[in-house]
Amino acid sequence: MTSKEAATAWHVDAELLDAYAEGKLTPSRVMAVDAHLQACAQCRAAVPSDPAWLDHSWSLVADAVQAPRPTPAERVLRSVGIPEHRVRLLAATPALRWSWVLATVAVLSFGVVAASTGQAGARITMLLFLVFAPVLPVLAVATAYGPPADPMHELTATTPMAGPSLVLWRATAVVGVSMVMGAGAAFLLPGPGYWAVAWLLPAFLLCVSTLALATALPLPAAAGVFGGLWLVVVGGVAMSGSAVQPLFFGPSAQAGYLVAAAVAVAVLTARRRRLDPGETR
Amino acid sequence: MTQQSSDADLLRAVAAEDMEALRLLHQRHAPWLRLRLTRRCADPDVVDAAIQDTFVSVWRDARGYRETRAEAAAWIWTIAIRRLVSTLRGPGHRWVGGIPEQDTETVPSAEDLVLLRVEHGDLGEALDRLSPELRAIIQATAIDGLTVKEAARCLGVAEGTAKTRLMRARARLRELLA
Repeated sequence: MTSKEAATAWHVDAELLDAYAEGKLTPSRVMAVDAHLQACAQCRAAVPSDPAWLDHSWSLVADAVQAPRPTPAERVLRSVGIPEHRVRLLAATPALRWSWVLATVAVLSFGVVAASTGQAGARITMLLFLVFAPVLPVLAVATAYGPPADPMHELTATTPMAGPSLVLWRATAVVGVSMVMGAGAAFLLPGPGYWAVAWLLPAFLLCVSTLALATALPLPAAAGVFGGLWLVVVGGVAMSGSAVQPLFFGPSAQAGYLVAAAVAVAVLTARRRRLDPGETR
Repeated sequence: MTQQSSDADLLRAVAAEDMEALRLLHQRHAPWLRLRLTRRCADPDVVDAAIQDTFVSVWRDARGYRETRAEAAAWIWTIAIRRLVSTLRGPGHRWVGGIPEQDTETVPSAEDLVLLRVEHGDLGEALDRLSPELRAIIQATAIDGLTVKEAARCLGVAEGTAKTRLMRARARLRELLA
């Protein structure tokens, strides 16, 4: 006798099915229904289905099946603990490639102009550049993701993520890459190309640390704290009249920037759950 | 692919990446899987998640299905119960009852046949008289089709314990049926 023939010996009627669903059957009858359902297509088809539930379940299955597989870059970002929607945002940055290229070019040009002015120019120009150093690259990034280059800007502007935090995340993605590229170029080129990269460090630091502090304070307050701090330091240097370049870009300052950036990244990682939009701080 | 296509045909179409075939399989099997999984786990969210995972797995693994080795419904059920077990390994969830597992050393089809007739024979009574822990191991292995190892995990006992219980359960059943 095959299991199919056995299955036709009796069938699960609606009453038995109800009792099963409500947990009113004795253990052996539960087992009998289990075994029978698995063997009998007719009784499986008789199980009532809720169309709304079925549609919902199917839509989730279809989404999962059709979802693109994560790229290697996304997998790396995810493995260091960055939440899913940030991963998508950072990984999509290169996909908006014209914006990204524009932003990178703008940021790198800023570094080069600042560095060459700083080498040769007057002390006052140098200080002016210093005041704007952290902000200009971020402005450049924000502009590059605007109307002409980013076809998505209207859609993006309506999402809950739009605004300062989006700009800072994008700036982090662009300035971070620019720094790596600049450092590579500086390493390969003769001469002090290194200075161009050094000019980007404050901007990178500002982005990352503002995002980190924004896990505890509202974002504008966090930006105010770091922006104010930076201006106070630059102002202090301007008043004291000490040499600008070694102070801001000397070896110890560079090491300090790097340590601060590392701390900020660590804070961001540890407190990443607080980054979700709409959550109370 | 239509409503009338057999499960095996649909699975072959799914292996060839036919979404419509997957939809038909989902439509056909999700309701009874939901009913049966709900008897194992009271949390509807967990059951729903297990069902979604199941059909995603079916999509990925349909190529591995062999008609000669298992009926399609049984094959899908095995995936579903394993997804449920692995979802439930996290804390905070509750089993309604123990899950039976299938021992690779048992001959499940024979036991299934016997169980299909519990309604009419002494077997039903014998099963009811088994202690709950012995009944749970029978259910997990013979009915839900888990291996002894998986049964041990979902019942929260060591694999050796699960093996011993399965042996004791069989001996006790023979005794009660004698």
